[in-house]
Order: sequence, then C-alpha cells, then structure tokens
Amino acid sequence: MDTPAGSTVDVDVNVDADADDDYDEIPLQHKRPFGSGLHRKTVAFVPASASDGCLNSTDHVNTAAKPKQLDVADLYLSMVLSKDNKTANEAVQVGETGAAICEVCRLPLESEPAPAGSSDVDDGNSSSSKKDGGKVHENSFAHQVCLPHSYPPSALDRSRMGLSYLSQYGWDPDSRKGLGAAEQGITFPVKATPKYNNLGVGIHVPKNLPPPREKKERLLDAGKVRKQARKDKRKAERIHQQLFGNQDLEKYLGPGALG
Amino acid sequence: MTDYNSESSDPTKGVKRTNMGEDGTKDSKRIKTANGDEKYNPYLAHQYEDSSSQQNGFKSPLDQLERHNTTALQMSQAEDGERNPWTGEPHSQQYFKILQSRRDLPVHKQRQEFLDTYHSTQILVFVGETGSGKTTQIPQYVLFDELPFQTGKLIACTQPRRVAAMSVAQRVANELDVKLGEEVGYSIRFENKTGPKTMLKYMTDGQLLREAMHDHDMTRYSCIILDEAHERTLATDILMALLKQIAARRKDLKIIVMSATLDAQKFQSYFYNAPLLAVPGRTHPVEIFYTPEPERDYVEASVRTVLQIHATEPEGDILLFLTGEEEIEDACRRISLEVDDMIRESDAGPMRVYPLYGTLPPAQQQRIFDKAPEPLRKGGRPGRKCIVSTNIAETSLTIDGIVYVVDPGFSKQKIYNPRSRVESLLVSPISKASAQQRAGRAGRTRPGKCFRLYTEKAFKKELIEQTYPEILRSNLANTVLELKKLGVEDLVHFDLMDPPAPETMMRALEELNYLACLDDDGELTKLGSLASEFPLDPAVAVMLISSPEFYCSNEMLSITSLLSVPSIWIRPNNARKRADEMKAQFAHPDGDHLTLLNAYHAFKGAEQQGTDMKQWCHEHFLSFRHLSSADNVRAQLKRIMETHDIELISTPFQDKNYYINIRRALLAGFFMQVAMREGSNSKVYKTVKDDQLVMIHPSTVVTSPYDWVVYNEFVLTTKQYVRTVTNIRPEWLLEIAPIYYDVDSFEKGEIKSALSRVTEKVRRRQAIKGSGH
Repeated sequence: MDTPAGSTVDVDVNVDADADDDYDEIPLQHKRPFGSGLHRKTVAFVPASASDGCLNSTDHVNTAAKPKQLDVADLYLSMVLSKDNKTANEAVQVGETGAAICEVCRLPLESEPAPAGSSDVDDGNSSSSKKDGGKVHENSFAHQVCLPHSYPPSALDRSRMGLSYLSQYGWDPDSRKGLGAAEQGITFPVKATPKYNNLGVGIHVPKNLPPPREKKERLLDAGKVRKQARKDKRKAERIHQQLFGNQDLEKYLGPGALG
Repeated sequence: MTDYNSESSDPTKGVKRTNMGEDGTKDSKRIKTANGDEKYNPYLAHQYEDSSSQQNGFKSPLDQLERHNTTALQMSQAEDGERNPWTGEPHSQQYFKILQSRRDLPVHKQRQEFLDTYHSTQILVFVGETGSGKTTQIPQYVLFDELPFQTGKLIACTQPRRVAAMSVAQRVANELDVKLGEEVGYSIRFENKTGPKTMLKYMTDGQLLREAMHDHDMTRYSCIILDEAHERTLATDILMALLKQIAARRKDLKIIVMSATLDAQKFQSYFYNAPLLAVPGRTHPVEIFYTPEPERDYVEASVRTVLQIHATEPEGDILLFLTGEEEIEDACRRISLEVDDMIRESDAGPMRVYPLYGTLPPAQQQRIFDKAPEPLRKGGRPGRKCIVSTNIAETSLTIDGIVYVVDPGFSKQKIYNPRSRVESLLVSPISKASAQQRAGRAGRTRPGKCFRLYTEKAFKKELIEQTYPEILRSNLANTVLELKKLGVEDLVHFDLMDPPAPETMMRALEELNYLACLDDDGELTKLGSLASEFPLDPAVAVMLISSPEFYCSNEMLSITSLLSVPSIWIRPNNARKRADEMKAQFAHPDGDHLTLLNAYHAFKGAEQQGTDMKQWCHEHFLSFRHLSSADNVRAQLKRIMETHDIELISTPFQDKNYYINIRRALLAGFFMQVAMREGSNSKVYKTVKDDQLVMIHPSTVVTSPYDWVVYNEFVLTTKQYVRTVTNIRPEWLLEIAPIYYDVDSFEKGEIKSALSRVTEKVRRRQAIKGSGH
C-alpha cells in the first residue's frame, strides 16, 4: 500500500507478496478506472458473441460459423445486452428504398460501405446479408454509444442503518434516483467549495498553479539597516531633485523660490 | 349583483360554509358577478345604511358577516366604525391615522380580488414584494373573513425569523388597536405571547412545526399563512409538504403561501396549480451595470465603487452587500476613512456608513433607518448614508431611500456535508434570483442603479439560477426526528418541494440511531419521543435527558441554555486584552463548557446580591442581553423537564466529582463530536470517525494540550476549528457510548489503536478488580 508511485509491479510483489493477502499488484497509475470510458471498453466487449478469445477483431464475428462455448464474457453480455440486441434487431425498420433505420441510434443501417471507423473490419463482407449488415452496424461506435447501459453499483456502504431504512420504503441505491414523491430529488449532496481569497465572481485560479510563496521575514543587522537608510536617503534626494530642480518651475516661480 | 349583495348582508342566511372545495360551482358564479362590484354601488345604498346603523349599536358589525362570504366593502365599514369590531372598545386616535396609511398600501387595492380568490380555493399562492404590505395586511383580511369567534379556530402566519414574528405581531396589534398578546399574539422558540383571546398568531415556521407534533392535523387553525416562502427555510419546506398532506385530509383548512419573488410558479405547480394572486410592489426601474473584466479583489472593488458613487452620482443612499461581520466592519472602516479624505480634498458631501448583520445588537441595527446626514454647509453637496450589509437586507428588511446597490456577487451560505458531518458557513457566489433581488432593492423610492462587480458573461454562466433551499444544505437529524414524531414514516416519498440527497437523509437517520432516538429499524424510541419535546438539537436534548444519570442535571441545564444563545463573551477590538483577562477569571482548566458554567454561576451570584447587572456584565465583558436570554431559555427548558419528570439534581459543589460528572454528562449527547490529538507534540486534532483535521479555536481557555476533547461546534474559516471544547477521558467514551465506540467498527488508524489500548486497559483493570474480590 505504501509503495512509491514509480515502483514496478514485480518489485512490489517481491516486497509485499506475503505481507498483505489482498494486495493489488497493479500500480495505481496503470489501473483502469472502473465505470469510465464507455466508448473504449464496452465496444471492445460487444462483438464477443463469437468468443474465440480474440476480442479485438470483429472479423471473427462474421467469419465464425457459430459460437462454440459460453464463457464469462458471453454470460455477462447475455445479461446486459441480450435484450437490447433483440430489440435492436427487431427494431430495424425497412424503408421504401430499402435503407433501414436503426431505432436505437436513429442512423441508417448501411449494408455495403461500412462506417469509416471500421472499414478494415468489413473488408471481406461487403456483400453480406442484411442481418450481417445489422451486426456491423451494431458494432459501430455510434450505435454502441446510444445503447442503454448499466451503471456501476452505488458506492454506499450496504450495511448502513440509514440505507436499510430508505430501502424499506422503496428507495434503491443503484437506481440513480433521489428522494421525493417521484424520486426526483438530488442524488448527491450539494458540494461545498471553501473560498479562501477575495477573487471576484468569474475569476478562476488554474488548478495546477503552485501555491504562492510565503514571504520570509528578513532579519536585519546594523549594516543592512544602514544600507537601507542610505538607499532611502538617495531616493528622497532624487525625488527632491525631480520636483524642485525643474527648470520650467523655476521660470515661473523665480530662482529664489526653490531652495 | 343584487343577489350578491343581499346574500352577504342578510343576517338570516348565516349558513356556515366550511367546505369550499365541494361548492365550486356556486363560488365561480359569484365571482363573476363580484368582479364589477368592488366599488361602492349607489343603487344599493339602503343596504349599506342597514349594516352601518347596526354598527352604531353595541353589536359588533362582524356578527352580521357570513364566514367565507365577506366583501372588502363590509370589512372597510367594520374597520371605519367608532368602536373596535373585535373588542367593542372605542378606537384610539392613532388607529385612524394608521388605518389611512394601511389603505394606501398596494395590497389594499386588491382586497376584493384577494377575497374572491380566497373564497374560491383551499390553497392560494400570493406574490407581493416587500413593502406591498402583505405580511401585515393579508392576515388581517383573512381575520375579517374567517371570523375566528364563530369557529374558535385561529389564524397562523409564519415568519422565518423570530424578530420578524415579534415586530410584525406588534405592528398588527397596533393596526387592529388591540393589545399584543390578547387578540394578536406571537409565538417563537422559548417565548409565547398569546392568550385565550388570541385569534391571529404570528409565529416562526419552526414553532408551527413543533405545534404540529402534538396536533398532527393542525386542528387549532382554520387558516395557515406561510409568509416569506421564497426564503425556503428548512421549516417552511417541511411545513409545505406537511400542509399538502393535511389539506387533503382537512378540507376546511385554508392555506396561503406568500412569496416575495416572481418565481412563484414553482409554488403554484407544487400545490396542485393553486390560483396565484400577485400584487405589484412599488418599484421603479433599476439600471444594471456590470464590470467589463472580472475583479481581482471584490472587497477592494466594492469599496472603490461606493466611493465612486459618492463622488459622481446624485443624491441617494447606497446599499453594499458583503458576506460577513468581519468583512463588513472592515469595509465600513475603510469607506469612512476614504470619505473623510474626499471631504477634505474635493468637497464631497458627508456620508455615514452603517454595518448591518445578524449578530449586531438591535439598537445598532436600528441605526440604519436614521436619515442621511445634512450637507456640511448650506448649499453644499448633499449627504448620504451607506449601509454595508449581509444578505439580510436582500429580502427580509426594507430600507427606504436606497438608490444605489453594489453587488459583489457573494454571500455566506450554510452548507452541510453528510460525509464529513461538517456544517459550515462558506462564502459562495449568489444565484441569479438573488442578484435580481439585490438589484430590486435600488428601486424602492425612485429609479435606481445597481452595480454588479462581475461581468455580464459571469452573471449568465457562473451564477446558478436559484439559491439552494436550506433543506439541501442542512443537517437533517433534527428534521427527521420531528418528522418521525409527526408520524411521517415514508421519508423516501415524503412530498418535499426539493427533496434532500439520500446520503444526507441516511446520515440523519444514523445519527439518531446512535443517539438511541431511533431503534435499528428506524422506529422512534421512547428517548427519541422525549427528545423531540425539547426545542433543541437531538444531541443536546439527549444530553439533557440523560443528565440525571450523572447527577448534574441542573448544571447541564445551564450549559445547554448557554449553548443555545449567541456567545456570552464580549471581546471589543479596543479592549481585547482586558476582555481576555476577565474571561480568564472564569476559566476552568478543563474546558470551555465549564468556563461558561462558571460565568453563569458568577452572573447569578452577583444578581442575588442585588448588583446592577448591566454594569456588572459591562465590567466583566459579558453580554447582559445574551446572559438574560440564556436565563430565560433555562426557565423554559426547566419547565419542559419538569413536565416530563426529568429529575433536577446536583451534587454539592465541594464534591470531587462535581466537574467530572459534568464532563461525562457532556459525552452522553456529544459523543459524536470528539477529537483526538494527532501525535504528542501536535496542535492538530482529528475528529473521531469523520477524520477531519482541526485545531482548537483560539477563543478557548484550554491551555494544556489534552489528548481527547469533546467540542460543541465545528467552525470552518481559513482553518478548520472546533469551538467550545472540554477535556475528556477516552475510557468514558467506551463506557457512555459503547455502540458508537465499538473498536471493531473503526477504520485502521491512530484513533483505532488508541481506543484498543484503552479497551485493553479497562479490561485489565476490571480483571484485577475481579480477582481482588
């Protein structure tokens, strides 16, 4: 737990392997945040209906004849996505010209040219059937983003007494809903941001600004004090010169006026 | 038309119609005819004659009226009579003078319209700006229509603030020419000025909520008026949800929701699209100015703006909004100094600067109504006054003569964080609604100007639409306890206008659970029910209830009272040192709670010797006002304790456990507000379970660095402080609050290991004792 941020995985394991059982071997900076990046991660999972283990390539989806086994990923997908897949397939509307529109993402279902992003995927299947085209479309980025997806469960501690009371009256912590007659209330407490300065409304301090350096109080010895006094005196003389050594002024006031 | 008038003046037709909702058809018909009939109708003069002749007798004109079927005209006649229609006494001279001014109020013009709408509906939303007269007049209009002597039911009008409830009640008593506390009264926390004759009752919203705990249907009232609903205080929000429920059960209860801002549609839709009635305020156009660039220092900028206005703008007073006491006092000083310079250098007019904030003594608050100073010499530039205020001048207080408003865009807001359980006052940007409200203050007497110290872009993009209502920013422990007592079980679907976050609600439930006010299933316990009887925070109430177990209920009663009033210590800027010396006289080395108690005992002791208490307090740098109100609070709480048979006991002062008992008793309520010192040389403490790093507030008398302290409040300024602390021993925690201090429930850390050590120690000591037997 206390390993420095830069240490590598194997070092960590060597040091701490038996110190702590549930020690996580992946350094924090390499960990993927849970629940973030729907586009990248979920998309990679969807075509696994053909699960050969090669999750990245959608070629397998189209070339493989049948799914061989059900693995964990399949199971997960059948729970999370099966319904949506079905509805998506059923929702295909065939237009008069034959161009169907997907109900989920409201984009036309293209059968011949694949979307630019997945053109390499679709190389061998340019004359695929409508169903295959649907599948290609399903794998497309735009479609994936539009799919309703499940959220990670709420981080609330399930053993809390307050939670059990609220769930007794029908509030589900994972529903992403608040309280109220229609559960329309806010879901998270209002956040407080303390303000330690006098900056006006509309000024924002950049977050990564280094904190202002505190001025150190200097201790002056006799020499420094004398030096400072000399400096001040010179400054005063200069100002005096500027004000009273002015020729224009002398012209108006007469030479005797300034002294 | 004929039908309308004869119906209302016919005394034989006095059928009480209590249920307006079911009689909708008749009502709507009547209103149609009524619209053209607001003015005096000369063709029906004989009928008016009729009623006025009866008025001359001893009979009250009100006896002729039919409840929920009166007209503005009848009421005016009743008000114009020689004798007071409510008491039968002759009217005083002053009465008619006030009556005249009342008739000039904007709301008076719509009296008939108001009555018509009021008759037609159960719930009514009324919008009128401050100064329209709604707070004083509408309850009186209702009074003349509800005729409480017929039903024996009262009219309640709630106010968010105690001072408002008191002063408005006094004003209305004057207007009705009755004595305060008789026909018109008020009821606020720790003070009830009502009598058996009371018909109209001004009260704080919290007070009405407390009453509802014993009267779930609010059967004492025939009409409830929620004033200043736009302020959205916690209690008003709860009341609105509650009244919504009650209104469904009690069709005879009428509800008026009064708001000063025009966003009343939200209220309207919340109350099943109740009819809305708006009274235009007396307002003038206000020109609004923004800065082209954001300001670097808003205090600096606001001081400069005030001075610029003074130098360049024509006559008219200035209102500057700042955030807190310190900032306001500082700005006042700076403005005064600068103005002195301006007078000397550029012949500027005189300017008087007044601060205004909640904790200012009333006499000083009153000074803001002083007239602006005269010009320094005849024909010189006019003087003006400048009021530097917190946002209490935003809606609640009306100061006439303000022409210029300076708005830096900040206010102090209470915010509660349920995760760290910290309630703090933070400076934060205001909302758009609040900015508009502030600007509106400039147009009360004549067209004005508002100077906003931010850009227009910032106004549009940075400011939120509405200020978060208090319910979203508060600790709800007290509220949940009240709701449980009110019989509200389903806290999930309780129909609040803005329901709080689930986490806040959960935290409140858990806090009450730890205090044993709720059991593990969330049911109200006996202790919880008893605690809700006290107008105190649940923790304080529990502390008070359990104090007899520690043989010091008298002392805890005193401490509780002292903690429920503003600080009794006075520390003037020019005499800080002497004030601190005086405080040190009362100091108890073990903590501030005990020091408070010492000061109170000294106060009572001096009082009994017949000392001039004001002088005594002045000499000792104590607030006479707050000590007296603590005394008053104490008497009230004592009465509650007596009615619930809570023993009042003390140990003799010489008892060596006298102070120890008190310190232990503090923990019975405040065991969730304990902090442990970080390390042996550190000044930093860490709060138990919430893990907040805090320091002890410099105002403390505690000098030795104790390892464990109990604190009264958490203060967040530039640093995190705990204020009013007292030294305790960790063994007590395990003994007094074993569930909360169950070592296994703690997260790994210093506090956990410290507690385990203590547990071990206690266990060993007991084992030794056991073996000794």
